[in-house]
Amino acid sequence: MQMTYLQAIGDALKEEMRRDDKILIFGEDVAEFGNIFGVTRGMLEEFGPQRVRNTSISETAIIGAALGAAVTGLRPVAELMYADFTMVAFSELFHCVPKWRFMNGAEYKMPLVVRCAMGSSFGAGSEHSNCVESLFMHSPGMTIICPTTPYDAKGLLKSAIRSDNPILFCEHKQLYQTKGDVPEGDYTIPIGVADIKRPGKDVTVIAVGLMVRRALEAAEMLEKEGISVEVIDPRTLVPFDKETVFNSIRKTHHVVIAEESNKTAGIGAELAAMIQEEMYDELDGPISRVAALDIPMPYNITLEKHVIPDAAKIAQAVRAQVERWK
Amino acid sequence: MQYTAEFLTKIYRDLYSVRVFEEKQVELYALGKVPGHIHSGIGEEGSCTGVMATRKEGDFVKISHRPVGAGLLAGTPLETMFAELMGRVGGNALGLGGVLHMTSLEKGMVGFSGTLGCDAPVAVGAGLTIQMNGTDNVSYVFYGDGTSNRGPVHEAMNLAAIWKLPVLFVCNNNQYAISTPTSFSSPVPNPGADRAAGYGMPSRVADGTDPLSVYEAAQELVDYIRAGNGPAVLECKMCRMRGHFEGDQQKYRDLSVVEQWKDQDCVAKMEKYLIDNEVLTAEEIAAIRGEVAAKMDAAIALAEQSPEPTPEDLYRNLYAE
Repeated sequence: MQMTYLQAIGDALKEEMRRDDKILIFGEDVAEFGNIFGVTRGMLEEFGPQRVRNTSISETAIIGAALGAAVTGLRPVAELMYADFTMVAFSELFHCVPKWRFMNGAEYKMPLVVRCAMGSSFGAGSEHSNCVESLFMHSPGMTIICPTTPYDAKGLLKSAIRSDNPILFCEHKQLYQTKGDVPEGDYTIPIGVADIKRPGKDVTVIAVGLMVRRALEAAEMLEKEGISVEVIDPRTLVPFDKETVFNSIRKTHHVVIAEESNKTAGIGAELAAMIQEEMYDELDGPISRVAALDIPMPYNITLEKHVIPDAAKIAQAVRAQVERWK
Repeated sequence: MQYTAEFLTKIYRDLYSVRVFEEKQVELYALGKVPGHIHSGIGEEGSCTGVMATRKEGDFVKISHRPVGAGLLAGTPLETMFAELMGRVGGNALGLGGVLHMTSLEKGMVGFSGTLGCDAPVAVGAGLTIQMNGTDNVSYVFYGDGTSNRGPVHEAMNLAAIWKLPVLFVCNNNQYAISTPTSFSSPVPNPGADRAAGYGMPSRVADGTDPLSVYEAAQELVDYIRAGNGPAVLECKMCRMRGHFEGDQQKYRDLSVVEQWKDQDCVAKMEKYLIDNEVLTAEEIAAIRGEVAAKMDAAIALAEQSPEPTPEDLYRNLYAE
């Protein structure tokens, strides 16, 4: 059935909480208000104030408490509202959560999901628009999931909640109201498996988050020009599904990476380096990165659009690959 | 308060065990058997001993970096602690965590963050588990006067208070944060206790060199917490007797003041109390000392037999299956 990305996330939370009473959610404004985007609406009424808890504005305490609850037997889903606020709790999220088991021993399991809303959203400015995934790719132990469709969001959130490892679950604000097919009943999607969102043969586009939709638009445009684009959505950045990506490169021999965060030291930097190290012989041209300009996100909406890649920019990068190197 | 001889003997044994652990830590470090840095807690054993005597089955505890020997009071096996201390694979974290991570979840220790203060909220999370489970257990968290100024400690206190969680915050005020005296870093005389009012929590100040004074204050607060009233703060006053880490020249402080604090040594005072009150004889005390030292040496010998971790061990604990 058709539902929005937002509904799919809400349904995953509710279905999991019905299944396991060790699961609880907490964060700023998640109870009566139902989270500022409406994701947790109705959950306080169904599960009560013990399992659906508002917090003070205390991001470090939210993450630290979620960690403490997770290692002592609960399965918390903590919410940080904007992904930008992961920075407030950076020490907890970078040092403690992913490394606790390594530092303290195998007894310590961390069934903890941290949900946050990432990305640009029409004038939210430079502290409410960030994509932070690449920062946490630098902290071994953190699993990072960025779903882009209602189907993926629901199935991956269920897997995340059932995992005994800590997970940063990045939801894109611009995707909340997008719709897609979601099957009835329970299903999960394995963590660490990419999805080929559109098969093609000329160029592989690895797109993350909102850029998946834009890459698909670009692929439509390019098809009319006779260029066949394969769009891969990694869905999980850590662990990264190399196999699906490498198989695609063996077919196309050309790679474009599209992401919404700043280009320097971004996701594309890591993926491009990894691909050239491991797949050099398969490449027929340099790897292109399409990313946000290295500038704080502007408040002015025209300039916000200018800073973030659109379908035309992704298409141009693909075209350049084909024209110059194919 | 009236105590049984059995209770007082247990307190002494605990106190002295932590003391010996701290001494052995210094010895092993001097022999080059311990990587990194250690932070000796000699002279500060009274606080953890008194507080931990109020524990019961199902309680959680988060110790501080000083004294790390407090972990043995939770019941963490000594040989595991020493193996972790020396970076051996027999440690609880395969020797990959180290001196600040000698923990046992089975014994109720929630783990340890090397960034001090980050784990105050972790203890709050353990308190949340207790509240959800509906028991009258307590989550104890030890921290220092220096750490009392960190944001996570304040956020943790606030969240524990608004959620009415069973957390006992124990501030070990040893008067120094590395080189910075508490009189400089804190605008109030009691950096633990004086902050409690801001979060609507009761507090007590105890003499950290006297485990019985600590025990009495802790018991009062623990009774309050177990009755479902929410968190509380205990501050224990003492002096850091050695440098921040081994090798610290301590040019920033007047060491004659530290010398004077030796009159307040928690172990010596406790021994005098036991003899004066005819709880134990000097011979009985000597016997306990011998037993504790022998146990410690045996654990060290076992830990030293444990091999170094291998590169394969690096990946064993990163993820749960």
